[in-house]
Amino acid sequence: MWGTEWPRYEVIKQDTPKSPPQMVGSVHATDPEHALLLARHVFVRRPSAYALFVAPAEAFFHVTQEGLKGPWSEGLEEGPEEAYWVFAKRSHRRSMVYGDLVGRFLAKGPASAIREALLHAQGVAFWAVPERLVVGTEPKEEVIESWFAPAKDKTYRLQSYYGLVTAKEVEDAP
Amino acid sequence: MVKLRIGYPEDPDYPERLEEFEARIARGEKIEPGDWMPAEYRRQLIRMISQHAHSEWVGMLPEGAWITRAPSLRRKLILLAKVQDEAGHGQYLYHAAETLGVTREEMVEALLSGRAKYSNIFNYPTLTWADVGIIGWLVDGMAIKNQTMLAQCSYGPYSRAMVRICAEETFHHKQGKEAVLLYARGSRKQRQMVQDALNRWWWPTLMMAGPHDTDSPHTPLLLRWGIKTKTNDQIRQEFLNEHVPELLEAGLTPPDPELRYDEKTGNWVHGPIPWDEFWKVINGEGPMNRHRLLARERAHEEGRWVREAMEAHAKRRLAQAAD
Repeated sequence: MWGTEWPRYEVIKQDTPKSPPQMVGSVHATDPEHALLLARHVFVRRPSAYALFVAPAEAFFHVTQEGLKGPWSEGLEEGPEEAYWVFAKRSHRRSMVYGDLVGRFLAKGPASAIREALLHAQGVAFWAVPERLVVGTEPKEEVIESWFAPAKDKTYRLQSYYGLVTAKEVEDAP
Repeated sequence: MVKLRIGYPEDPDYPERLEEFEARIARGEKIEPGDWMPAEYRRQLIRMISQHAHSEWVGMLPEGAWITRAPSLRRKLILLAKVQDEAGHGQYLYHAAETLGVTREEMVEALLSGRAKYSNIFNYPTLTWADVGIIGWLVDGMAIKNQTMLAQCSYGPYSRAMVRICAEETFHHKQGKEAVLLYARGSRKQRQMVQDALNRWWWPTLMMAGPHDTDSPHTPLLLRWGIKTKTNDQIRQEFLNEHVPELLEAGLTPPDPELRYDEKTGNWVHGPIPWDEFWKVINGEGPMNRHRLLARERAHEEGRWVREAMEAHAKRRLAQAAD
């Protein structure tokens, strides 16, 4: 069906109910459900998570930092109005700056959605994806518990488990 | 995926764009997927990131061999978590390389066909349980020195992968150190076992940082473009200065009769590294090269039915959805 490589899904991870969903990387999978399972193995082995979302990588419209300076949205075709998720890379200050979700916008195309987002949010690069293609874990307590609690309870989750090891004093692990 | 043909020195706008690119790096900006970059920057990154990804994958093999033989449930849990992390690191890195236009399929094919290189270190056998501790403390210790540097890399996806990887490698380093220090003050047999592991892994570990700067033709360009922020010899020196005093304090002796502390520079200075061995191992003649590739090939083949089943399942769902 796909040759020897499965489609790529962008993975969007939300750490806590208050933090923005962030683009963290991608996985190859046969369908969104499979992509979510893989995303949990790859991106949530130890870190906290509240929700995970995936969407086909090819469905993302992207405007780069250089692109934003030019006539990036001219001549792009528009379709029926629908909701888009728009992400922005907000700065260059740290390595760990991903595309953060800046909002959901009703628009006739991804470029229009980004134009709308630019009225509300600053960023050095933007992405937009139709909401109908985004699949995620449900925000129900039992789902969050079953998907993300095991990473928190992992016996060897943190390196601080080993305390400060020196040659003089090897602290036995608790 | 569309192959990009931009960023070549013969392009008319190359000098101007190169200047802007280098100015961005000088300002500390991250270069992101889709941004203009010299073709050589892209090529060097694909080379480094894919080699790094392959190293994580092949790196599961020497340690994975000890999961069933771990001496306690606690050690088994630690090792399982560690090997699982290495698999995850490979995934982060393959993803980072894919953002540069190379496909996963091309990278996996290059590894399985023996064309791709990966770290020299994984072509040595793990003969005793003490090797697992030494790998955690020294091999991962050297890897962290390199990866902490790469976390500052100018390419956004690589630096982000490195930040996540470093957090987990620090855990690997600590568990190895804890294990080695326990054996180093254990029974005579345990002390001998861990000294023997140190003797075998010492030189391959020092080689992991790569050839000396004088023999590393890529380094000046990699530094200029912020792909690397330190040289191979700087990384090796940091490793020595941190680990030698701790090994000595633990009563272990690195197998280098010329190893000495230089009061003037405050550095530990090593004797000649056996580079002939390094080049042999890198070029496929190490003790375990064939074995490692066969193991990867076997894993790929044995997983084939799972991939086929996943695909059949997805096809059926699509067909059902269409009905």
